[in-house]
Amino acid sequence: MIDVKNVTKRFGEGQAAVTALGDVSLTIPEGSFFTLLGPSGCGKTTLLRLIAGFELPTEGEIALDGESIGHLAPNNRPVNTVFQNYALFPHMSVARNVGFGLEMLKRPKAEIDSTINEMLDLVQLGEFATRRVDQLSGGQQQRVALARALAPRPKVLLLDEPLSALDLKLRKGMQSELKRLQHETGITFVFVTHDQGEALAMSDQIAVMSAGAIRQVGTPEEIYTAPQSRFVADFIGDTNIVNATLLGFDGDAAKIKFGEGTPLTVHAASTSLSPGPVHVALRPETIHVVDERAETALLRGEVVDSTYFGAGSQMLVRLEDGVSVHVQVSTPRPVGSRVGLECDTSMLHVLED
Amino acid sequence: MDKLLSIFRPSTGSRELRRQPLFTGMSWLVLLFLYAPIAVLVVFSFNDNRSVVRWTEFSLRWYAAALENDDIRRSAMISIQVALSATVFSTIIATMAALATTRGGVYRGRSAAIALINQPLMIPEIVTAIATLAFFSILRQLTGVTGIGWLILAHTVFCVPFAYMPIRARLSDMSVTYEAAAADLYATPWQTFRHVTLPLLMPGVMAGAMLAFVVSLDDVIITLLVAGPGETTLPIYILGQIRRGVTPEVNAVSTILIGLTVTMVTLTFFLQRKRK
Repeated sequence: MIDVKNVTKRFGEGQAAVTALGDVSLTIPEGSFFTLLGPSGCGKTTLLRLIAGFELPTEGEIALDGESIGHLAPNNRPVNTVFQNYALFPHMSVARNVGFGLEMLKRPKAEIDSTINEMLDLVQLGEFATRRVDQLSGGQQQRVALARALAPRPKVLLLDEPLSALDLKLRKGMQSELKRLQHETGITFVFVTHDQGEALAMSDQIAVMSAGAIRQVGTPEEIYTAPQSRFVADFIGDTNIVNATLLGFDGDAAKIKFGEGTPLTVHAASTSLSPGPVHVALRPETIHVVDERAETALLRGEVVDSTYFGAGSQMLVRLEDGVSVHVQVSTPRPVGSRVGLECDTSMLHVLED
Repeated sequence: MDKLLSIFRPSTGSRELRRQPLFTGMSWLVLLFLYAPIAVLVVFSFNDNRSVVRWTEFSLRWYAAALENDDIRRSAMISIQVALSATVFSTIIATMAALATTRGGVYRGRSAAIALINQPLMIPEIVTAIATLAFFSILRQLTGVTGIGWLILAHTVFCVPFAYMPIRARLSDMSVTYEAAAADLYATPWQTFRHVTLPLLMPGVMAGAMLAFVVSLDDVIITLLVAGPGETTLPIYILGQIRRGVTPEVNAVSTILIGLTVTMVTLTFFLQRKRK
């Protein structure tokens, strides 16, 4: 288990100092596939480098299984990294790359050799042991990098956007391969990515980050269906964010209304919001298109665009207050027609800003 | 160097460049003035005649004479001894300096340090020579130490910037991720240097060492002023002989020197290419 406690990281000094991470706290459970998700510059890679030991925290502490590791050199941490560009040693064979960690730990030769074979089998590169690194394809190099990082049996494996250099087809294959490896080894994986699809597909838990802070931690389902803030809702998938008025709270539930419509009871990310204008998240797949005059319609607007994408169509509906909403339908309405939008109120979410 | 040359043959403009007026003529003229004197020297080293302007017959007699000449053999040995020692010491110092200026993080005075290391290249050699002569005289008197060590020390010093340049260039081109990966895989700083940084840096170190060796082997001015009695290097000996006119024997020695240099350059070139 990794405990990140009130970690702040600043680069530079005085006036020119840049805060990459501001007072971040996070618990990564043992044996889980944990993803740090966020746009570039959000601090996710800095957090990874702090866990690896390539950076030292300006303030705060990092503990691994209760032991403080925040100020140890990288070579003294039982943590290994798969780098974004793999960083395989070009002057060594595949086998020596994989055995490098154990060689540095001065393990017996027999143990190193058997681990190399075991690891290369694990990533299905058994017959490539004697090859030079530059004779391998990108996908193969990726798997050597994984084998090299897993060979010393670290407590934690850090992966810094390892799939970003691969083409789409290879990336899909590697996603399930990574899940399989995590499952087979039981090692805690900390995965950094800016790709929300990747994060949702692979993770046990996701921490969504922005501007040096953690915005939300949860399972992929929680993050997807119950985003707490406008940022998270915006970043995960193509959620619609519409305007509403908050009337008040009834326990944990929020009472809201759209325009001058009837009051609705919905979920809220926080009960500390004050009544007035708020934003509500609305997933495209939970919306149904109905007649404009239907009683059940919560929102009304005009179809301004419609795109066919094979399994259905995506319609763009402009609401009366000018906000546009994406809707997935099987049979689109003609552009220019007025429609009503209905949706399950249990899927609505009032967001923090 | 490849990068530097590539600006002379841009992918689309190479044919246009060749069509520029005078391009071909100028190129041949430059090549002629660069290599014709050397070619003449090499050709006449095989001349069976005392003259260095009139060709008679092919012969190796001047090579035999040069190799049998004790003065030439002695000065060649001193040259090699000084050049090898200076190469080893200056390459080690230059490697350490390059590591400190590229891998030591950002610190106050780093740019100044780089400038100070390179500055000797800009100072006229005669100034360095006179300064070294004066300084070493004081040191010799104070310590009472004499011997060839002083000459090696002087050569080491002026070889450092030459060795430093290619090593630093290689290091700045080299991604620090390799070293981070090594540290991540439990390598101590020394193990990281030994197993990752140094092997990857080797082409740069070889190039630096070669430059240092050639510069040391070739030096006249500083050697002339610093060398003690009996420390005559090959260039100094040749210079002394030239005063009595160019002899075919000197041609033969010079040709051997050229052969040695060309062999070293070629060897390094192929070593580097193999690594890639």
